[in-house]
Amino acid sequence: MLNLLNKSKSILIPALRNTTVRSTHDAVKEATPLVEVAAPTPPLILPQNWSQYEPVNRSLARQVWIENIDAIPERKLGLIELHPDVFATQPRVDVIQENVEWQRKYRYVSFAHTKTRAEVRGGGRKPWPQKGMGRARHGSIRSPLFRGGGVAHGPRSPTTHFYMLPFFKRVMGLTATLSVKLAQDDLHIIDSVDVPTRDPEFFKELIKERNWGPSVLIVDKDDIFPENICYATDALGYVNLMPSYGLNIYSMLKHDTLVLTVNAVKHIEERLLYQMNRTDATAKGGKFKLDQV
Amino acid sequence: MASIKNLLQLCKGTQYFLQFSNNQKCLLSLAAVRQSSYLSSPPVAPREEYPEVEIVQNAPEWKYVERLMPQKIIPKPIEKPEYPSGWKPQTAASLPDLKYFVARTKNHMVPVYLHTTFRGQRRITVIRRIQGDIWELERELRVVVEKARNGKLCASRVNEMSGQIHFHGDYVDVIREYLKEKGF
Repeated sequence: MLNLLNKSKSILIPALRNTTVRSTHDAVKEATPLVEVAAPTPPLILPQNWSQYEPVNRSLARQVWIENIDAIPERKLGLIELHPDVFATQPRVDVIQENVEWQRKYRYVSFAHTKTRAEVRGGGRKPWPQKGMGRARHGSIRSPLFRGGGVAHGPRSPTTHFYMLPFFKRVMGLTATLSVKLAQDDLHIIDSVDVPTRDPEFFKELIKERNWGPSVLIVDKDDIFPENICYATDALGYVNLMPSYGLNIYSMLKHDTLVLTVNAVKHIEERLLYQMNRTDATAKGGKFKLDQV
Repeated sequence: MASIKNLLQLCKGTQYFLQFSNNQKCLLSLAAVRQSSYLSSPPVAPREEYPEVEIVQNAPEWKYVERLMPQKIIPKPIEKPEYPSGWKPQTAASLPDLKYFVARTKNHMVPVYLHTTFRGQRRITVIRRIQGDIWELERELRVVVEKARNGKLCASRVNEMSGQIHFHGDYVDVIREYLKEKGF
């Protein structure tokens, strides 16, 4: 009993967190804990000074907590500043809708097919003479006027629905969606993507504990993730990993929670800010040329 | 193969030399070298055969080359008390209580445009990039535009979702000056 009291008091005092006096029984119990108390590290404060892309109003920059992913209970590891032109823009819902529509349609190929009057079997002969029958004049029994005839302007397979949304609308869509995610508390930032176990239960409990949405999208800068997180998320269909170059509006809206690493945030910010401030914007936003640089 | 190529080069070289006088020869020989084609130019020899060149890292003269090269990112405008074009930098960003905000474009211009359709017969003034209470801004701009029309009513259209206001007619200068005065 006394031992327990001593232990709790020492954990409360931060400096003494790692210097508890324990009995052998307690030592055995805590020899293999599910989660180890990490050594106290200094907070990861990351104020950004965007030298090339100075925001119009510095006070509009958003400060977001950097959280941990190495344990189930949430721990705030530090703060990061986010550029307002990427994470605090106007939520252009119309542009977001256009982007989602584009992402759905540009890959779609319609395989609906109908036969024209030339393709329908038969109908090569004039069914009755032009004059004298008292009937309407016809040239073939498979014309679109006839039952069983061909379709005049029907679908022809395969039909592509490819089109490219203007480049800067796609850029604006990304910034608008990121701003919306942040404003609706669906954006979390983690320091790195290192997870302690390969167990998918870890993620299930983490999501439940921290009240993250049912589906989570984890974005890191590189496309190679550590082993543990790959195994853990493989089993779960609603937790997905993505490199920062694969970030898209459809995925961000499909998954309830968006989790970015600090490296991913810096990469995304740098790329989007460059695209929003480039001098050759008119050349870039010009006509789309297929298969050309 | 190489000998044939050399012969060809010699032939092409002598052509120019034989036809013209001495002065023109020198100029043309230079011109011939500058306008040479791939097959007529000599192949690249090892570095030892060429005259000595001093390679300087981070030369101080490089800045004169750099300032001529095109910039990749739009630079910040040079700060001056007044600009002869009438352009003013945005000052409203630092104001505390704003009911609405009109952001500048990436080239630091006020986002007021003229859309002409029907062979110039329909002219519509468009104000984009509006955030906040767009209806309040529309009421204020309507006063300004109606004053410019000597009291006549003006037709306007507000698109809250995309943050745009349209006015019938060409009131670009009027609206731009008004927004600049407000500090946007």
